Amino acid sequence: MGNFIFEQIINGVITGSMYALVAAGMTMIFGVLRAINFAHGEYYMAGTFAAWYVIEKLAVPYLVAIILGVAIAALIAAIIGRLVMQRLVGSPFQAGVLATIGISLILQNAVILAFGGGYKVFEGGWIEPVEFFGIGMAQQRIVLIVAAVAIFAALEWMVRKTRMGKAIRAVSQNIECCQVNGIDVESVVRRTFLLGTALAALSGILTAPVNVSVYGGMGESITLKTFAVIVMGGMGNVRGTLVAGMLLGVVESLVSGLIGLQYRDSVGFIALLLMLMLRPHGLFSQKARF
Amino acid sequence: MSAVVDGPILSVQGLRKNYGGVPALQGVDFDIARGEVCGLIGPNGSGKSTLFDCCTGLQKSDAGRVLLKGVDIGGWPMNRIAREGRLLRSFQKTVVFPTMNSEENLILAGQMARFPGIASTFSIGPASRARVKALRERAQELIEVSGLSRVAHLPAGNMSGGQQKLLQFASMLMPEPELVLLDEPLAGINPILIEKVIQCIESANKKFGITFLVIEHNTDVLMNLSHRVIVLHQGQKLADDTPEAIVRNPQVVEAYLGG
Amino acid sequence: MAITLDTPHAPSPRLPAVRWGAAGTALVALALAPLVLDSYYLHALIIAMIFLLPAHGLNLILGYTGMLSLAQGVFFGLGAYASALLSMHFGTPFVVNLFAAAGIAALIALPLGIPALRLRTTSFVMCTLGFVVIAQMVAKNWTDLTRGDMGLSGIARPKLAIPGLGDATIAITQIPHYFYLILAVALLATLAFVALIRSPAGRCMVAIRDNETLAESLGIPTWSYKLIVFMLSAAFAGLGGSLYAHYETVVSPLVFQMYYSNTILIIVLGGGVGRVPGAIIGSFLFVAVTEALRVTPELRMIIYGFVLLVLVFMFPQGIAPLLERATEWLSRLGGKTDANAEKQA
Repeated sequence: MGNFIFEQIINGVITGSMYALVAAGMTMIFGVLRAINFAHGEYYMAGTFAAWYVIEKLAVPYLVAIILGVAIAALIAAIIGRLVMQRLVGSPFQAGVLATIGISLILQNAVILAFGGGYKVFEGGWIEPVEFFGIGMAQQRIVLIVAAVAIFAALEWMVRKTRMGKAIRAVSQNIECCQVNGIDVESVVRRTFLLGTALAALSGILTAPVNVSVYGGMGESITLKTFAVIVMGGMGNVRGTLVAGMLLGVVESLVSGLIGLQYRDSVGFIALLLMLMLRPHGLFSQKARF
Repeated sequence: MSAVVDGPILSVQGLRKNYGGVPALQGVDFDIARGEVCGLIGPNGSGKSTLFDCCTGLQKSDAGRVLLKGVDIGGWPMNRIAREGRLLRSFQKTVVFPTMNSEENLILAGQMARFPGIASTFSIGPASRARVKALRERAQELIEVSGLSRVAHLPAGNMSGGQQKLLQFASMLMPEPELVLLDEPLAGINPILIEKVIQCIESANKKFGITFLVIEHNTDVLMNLSHRVIVLHQGQKLADDTPEAIVRNPQVVEAYLGG
Repeated sequence: MAITLDTPHAPSPRLPAVRWGAAGTALVALALAPLVLDSYYLHALIIAMIFLLPAHGLNLILGYTGMLSLAQGVFFGLGAYASALLSMHFGTPFVVNLFAAAGIAALIALPLGIPALRLRTTSFVMCTLGFVVIAQMVAKNWTDLTRGDMGLSGIARPKLAIPGLGDATIAITQIPHYFYLILAVALLATLAFVALIRSPAGRCMVAIRDNETLAESLGIPTWSYKLIVFMLSAAFAGLGGSLYAHYETVVSPLVFQMYYSNTILIIVLGGGVGRVPGAIIGSFLFVAVTEALRVTPELRMIIYGFVLLVLVFMFPQGIAPLLERATEWLSRLGGKTDANAEKQA
């Protein structure tokens, strides 16, 4: 039994790190735009679908599919960022909610119309099993955790050392001040949006070999779970999402293994409601940014 | 609320309030007697608006008590202080309900005082309609008196700043309050109308016995209007006296009135 | 929502007459519809009228009290399930089911609203979304009660007693009969909605929407009103759900899909937030039309998505203001002397 639980926890940390990646993207977008991206899960789905498509129809290797998948998702995000997201700067929160809901409706249903609503099988990925502390798991899982750690480290470096990182921090703290000082807020918003959605897409493509099934509606539950993670981590707090994401992953894994697979998704939803009702400002202390 | 009839209508005792490290109020004590018009002056940042916030329930004080008609209103929600306590306040940055016209704004201001409870406001029966009719008539009177008749049909958000200020002031008088806290009622008003507002305050005070506590930077007007003036400086009470004495008080002159 | 109203002149005294005239004409047209249209189009109108109810509820909570809630779908589904279960287990008559659905929805809205209403704007929206998803989970997994994905079927058709004929009842089975039944319920619900809006409480709701702090400072217990409005809007949605259950005679967890919440949202935003005919315009425009054209659900959602974007950036108040201006213009026709007299005043 102990071995079983250990295995669940390890798996949970790994899926959790992917949740954290998606959530980092959403929380960064919230930081600069003060808007919650209700369509965030659709970029996860779009990247996954794009990768699935190029593997299925063009028979490219998985590594190439990762790059193409992220690129296609990024292209979509670039268009949306320019047409919609940057116009939300300074608008009331309702505009952001409704606009992103609209985007999510369009993306999700366009994919369903184009490819059908059924489940597709994701071929590809490094699914050869490998031993890890006495547990057999697909190589892909190792890739996931390594990628997550690497990306979070890169994000940390970017925010501290690069100009873009400084711009993001500035806009997150005080938009009016930035506008007065000549910082192109719209540009920062577009680029942060691109980065955030790319993280979601990448996360989807990396997870696809493990989850196997790909379908047009997969983004919806991702969006909701990501809400839970960013609320737990504290909205706008990137480091917080890492911890919160892993926590969610572990609890999901334990519930799934000990109680039942069908309750796995509900963990995130219940966590979201509990957090909002009991500790809406997050698990950690106030207002810690980046 | 069972009120203490004699004794001050408002009693502030040892009020302290910090805003994230900045001490806005550092132990303020004073009483306001019924039927007074009391002025409140002091430099910017001396804690005047914060004082209003703490008295009306918008902010919780860190220490000290506020007694309204002898009752400790600490922890009371804003709406209860306004409704049961019959204490209203205006805001420095004028606020009105932007999508409603003047009449609706005023009816709203007076509504909660006339209806016995939340449930009764859901009724459209004859009793409810009679109350609204009475409110409407009173609102029209106030609109007349304030000179807002010409723009009365506009959504309040479309009126000029000065007109909104007059509307806000009229709203204070609708529910027949006992105590009204005015936060710079004369700022941004056409000088011709200043006289009018002053007359309104005076007549409301004399005819209906409404007590006023007025923050105002127009010290000349304020000294003429008030029975008493309180001076705040850096979160503490500097002086509390008749206008004549305040004007001659050397500390006040140095801190605020500028020699 | 940012509101800008420009009414430079006082409204013409003929305006109420024009508006009531328009409403009356529409009502008469609806009443005569079954004589002219066939079942296919009547069905579209019926669906529009069913959705009108939760839309009124959303208009109440969003348009008039300023809270964006996506939870109308929860109460719609709750009402549907409540009616279905009552009908199947107790054989209760239609009217009882109707009121019970509204009541149960409102009762469940109470423990949900109390914690939810403490949340700020965006968190509140997320919370309501969470409710929808949890409701769907419960419906799928509490199989003892709901039979899970299989759903509840064979809900009894409404049977109405005929006054003066003792125990005799007629069962409503045909579309034209359903049409009148649902028209009657929709009409009564709309009247109830108007009564709410016009009441002093309705004024308080608008105050809360415009400036909650100001409303508080004038003695309005805003939290209490928000909770009551939340429960009332749930009741409206529950009513709609009950009609749905009795019309389709089948209820499944699919009723909690975001599809329904999104539709209700579009109806209100597109039709006209914060305006009395808003939900009516919206449901006929967005639901009846798409239903009649037999637009596939996916395409419908894509259209809704684009409509949302257009609304957010170009028509934050929906279509109703345009219609309002049209009626204002109509009411001024032939009354040029009035306008001139105003200009000189």
